[in-house]
Amino acid sequence: MGKILKLAAILAVFCVISAGGLAYVYLFTQPKIEANSKLTLENSKREVLGKDNKGTAVAVSPRGYSGPIDMLVGIDPQGKVKGLKILNQRETPGLGANITKPGFLRQFVGKSAKDSIEPKKDIDAITGATISSRAVCRGVREALGKVKP
Amino acid sequence: MNLWKDLNAGIVKENPVLRLMIGLCPVLAVSNNATNALGMSAAVAFVLICSNWVVAAIRKLTPDEIRIPIFIIVISTFVTISDYIMQAYYPELYVALGVFVPLIVVNCIILGRAEAFAYKNPVLNSVLDGIGMSLGFALALVSIGVVREILGAGSVFGVTFFNPATAATIMILPPGAFITIGFLMAALNKLEKKVL
Repeated sequence: MGKILKLAAILAVFCVISAGGLAYVYLFTQPKIEANSKLTLENSKREVLGKDNKGTAVAVSPRGYSGPIDMLVGIDPQGKVKGLKILNQRETPGLGANITKPGFLRQFVGKSAKDSIEPKKDIDAITGATISSRAVCRGVREALGKVKP
Repeated sequence: MNLWKDLNAGIVKENPVLRLMIGLCPVLAVSNNATNALGMSAAVAFVLICSNWVVAAIRKLTPDEIRIPIFIIVISTFVTISDYIMQAYYPELYVALGVFVPLIVVNCIILGRAEAFAYKNPVLNSVLDGIGMSLGFALALVSIGVVREILGAGSVFGVTFFNPATAATIMILPPGAFITIGFLMAALNKLEKKVL
């Protein structure tokens, strides 16, 4: 019994030292981490809304081939797509992951809620990645539906 | 002489990936391009050297029965520190490696070295062992990363060499990692036989 208590006490001391060390590192990295994530969001918004920064940026997460695709769609006051950016995705590298390429994303610029946005008809889908391409189209339609000009 | 041997062991002779074949999980995950491989190697090196140092320093205070929980506390503390630091100062690298950094806690290279080496040896030897093992890990990881990136995406460190459309996609998927590791292991065995 006495031995178990002794071991537990030693382990507790190690835990306290470790927690203290982590609290110290957390204290001076946390403000920087928060500033970073804010900056990333601001930059992405500016990227999808262009230079004049007018309109709204809508975040949507359509389901892709291997998980949600987090994307930001910039829509101008007339209800047309100004730009889009993929924030986070887990599609297959080399195939589905090509949805992040500017050449694919550029095709959506100027589309509005009235236009049909279907892969292979209105948008050139990525070879070997129909599901990922379709997911991006669905995301853009969803974002347009959320914003009424 | 002994110190030099401790440093040297991890690089080729007991290379953690190509010889001991431990820590393959993070190897598969992050060796699909050279940049990720280098970033992951740096994070592992930091954690491994620090944990070897601390484990060796406290080895006489550590009761035998609870050594494993204590190793894990030491390792996870350093992993969390490197996680915070990367997130704060290298956000681009964090985007690429974020999911894999917490996995370093269960990377068997680090726990393996704590148990097999640092727990039984003085601080200086343990730090040198950590440096050697980290170099060996980095060497293996970056070679695998370079091979997979060339064959699978047509580039090295993001600099394109040939049209990615003609590249073999399988090389940047998990099977490509196994194929590359197999060939590298064979090459290393052959090379060592010739030298000796």
